[in-house]
Amino acid sequence: MSAHAELDLEHVDGPRSGFLGVVQSVLDVVNGVLAMGSALAILAAGFVLTWEVVGRYFLGIASDWQDELSTFLLIGATFASAAWTQARRGHVGIDALSLILPVGVDKVRRVLADLLSCIFCSYFTMKCWQRLVEAWVDDQTTPSAWGAPLWVPYACMTFGMALLAVKLAVQGLGARR
Amino acid sequence: MTTLQLGLAYGGATIVALFSGIPIAFALGGVATLFMMGFMPHASVDTIAQNVFEELASITLLTIPLFILKGAAIGKSRAGKDLYDALHTWLGRVPGGLGVAVVLACGLFAAMAGSSPATCSAIGSSGIPEMRKRGYSPGFAAGLVAAGGTLGILLPPSIVLILYAVAAEQSLGRLFLAGLGPGVLLVVLFALYAVFQWRREFKRAEGVAAAGGPRSPILSDEHFTMAERLRALPRVLPFLLLLTGVMVALYGGIATPSETAGLGAVMALALIAVVYQAYHYRDLKKIFEGTLGESGMLLMIIGMSLLYSYVMSYLHISQSAAEAIVGLHLSKWLLLTAILLLVVMLGFFLPPVSIILMTAPIILPPLRAAGFDLIWFGVVMAVVMEMGLIHPPVGLNIFVINRIAPDIGLGPVIKGTIPFVALMALGVVILSFAPGIAMWLPNAVYH
Repeated sequence: MSAHAELDLEHVDGPRSGFLGVVQSVLDVVNGVLAMGSALAILAAGFVLTWEVVGRYFLGIASDWQDELSTFLLIGATFASAAWTQARRGHVGIDALSLILPVGVDKVRRVLADLLSCIFCSYFTMKCWQRLVEAWVDDQTTPSAWGAPLWVPYACMTFGMALLAVKLAVQGLGARR
Repeated sequence: MTTLQLGLAYGGATIVALFSGIPIAFALGGVATLFMMGFMPHASVDTIAQNVFEELASITLLTIPLFILKGAAIGKSRAGKDLYDALHTWLGRVPGGLGVAVVLACGLFAAMAGSSPATCSAIGSSGIPEMRKRGYSPGFAAGLVAAGGTLGILLPPSIVLILYAVAAEQSLGRLFLAGLGPGVLLVVLFALYAVFQWRREFKRAEGVAAAGGPRSPILSDEHFTMAERLRALPRVLPFLLLLTGVMVALYGGIATPSETAGLGAVMALALIAVVYQAYHYRDLKKIFEGTLGESGMLLMIIGMSLLYSYVMSYLHISQSAAEAIVGLHLSKWLLLTAILLLVVMLGFFLPPVSIILMTAPIILPPLRAAGFDLIWFGVVMAVVMEMGLIHPPVGLNIFVINRIAPDIGLGPVIKGTIPFVALMALGVVILSFAPGIAMWLPNAVYH
């Protein structure tokens, strides 16, 4: 198996009993809501860009905010659904070692991979949070004429990466049990 | 630490992180972050979130979820089967017409959906059983669909070409146009092979029948009336109009590539709602789940790969590696061969998105210095990556075919794809000797 494996969107990977099972259940609900929101964001981006064509080409309306709004929607969708994707093991990795390692050792490798991923995502969350606070406090905006507030995408990144880190922790610790 | 030592450490850490099983996105992001902490000014690590955001906030990159949505909408409908059925009725009289219909259907569907697995799945789920029913050998039928499906990463709106456009800072419009000629070349090569192989299997079946053995269905003649042919058209025409409409909007100056992506996604959803009544929650759920899973995974890899490339560039690793390659003074074609072999080998383990973003800063400067047109190279690289989708041991399309026709088995599927790997290699050679196949159209349109 390699990084090319197809995504299995039906199967949700995570513990189902004990404290971690409860955390997993809460995550499932939150991720489900965010996945729905992300789907709507992608659809909205499609409509915004369609409107941009219709407005500019057929109605002669200037397009000054559409690209930026689409960008925000799509970045928001990517990060907000990151934990939902991870729940289905959708963030693919190279599993070539599983073919040669003994089962017990391979299990340890998988747990470590989840926990190291969790550490990176936690660190990234912290850096997103710092940017979010700066963007909020300094009232930062994009340099365009529209001047959209930058705290919006950083909020999506912070929340999405935090959920992803929790999800990875639950998967790693759940597998050890 | 010298740049060479730093480069070796960076490469070594990347290999360890990737093979540990950490998801590719987090492995690349983690290695980049560690090297930022160790070898870059302390404040630089505070900007990793900003780096990823700014790299991702490219409207060209963000066409990817919308093109995936368009592909998922068409892929999850019955459009693939209808397209294949229609072509089958029209090509029924051509020797080996069924196989040719499969190749053409794959090409057209790939151009509409932009996804190799979706093309394999949509055309293969009806095409493979039909070919087997008509006496085609299972390996041949599977190989034909697996290879036809690869056209998705060469024909517009190819995600691979979108990423290459960003990584190589080339015009996406020119790249899309440059992919068309080689796409048609591969369709022709695959179709010729389909006729050739059909003749071999036909003659073999004739021999068996003449010797008193069972009569294979491949020997049966098949006719479709004009009424049957015309009846097959109405369900297909709207999608062909979508395909041509999107291209006209893009190259007629009506829409930018990003607007085309949005327009295409909305139009595809509207079409499947009208033609197949696919507007219920259960239909849309499948489409959007598929889109979220694929685009989320890809964009996360892209964001982290760009961070990885940024660190590699800041530490002068990519520049030094590129200079070292130039310093080898390899002949032009030896350099190209070595780079393409590297791409093939990386394709054993990494998806095309990572290969492009990780290697572009290193391989493109030497290629430019050697006088290669980077638009042309992007298309050749895409053809080589197509090979990675069907060559053993880890071609994605092989696994897609194995899922939709599990009784064939992996062995015959892999055996069936090998002639197509050779045809793609032949395609690369033809493109090297006749670069105009790729470059004529973009040069004509953009002049």
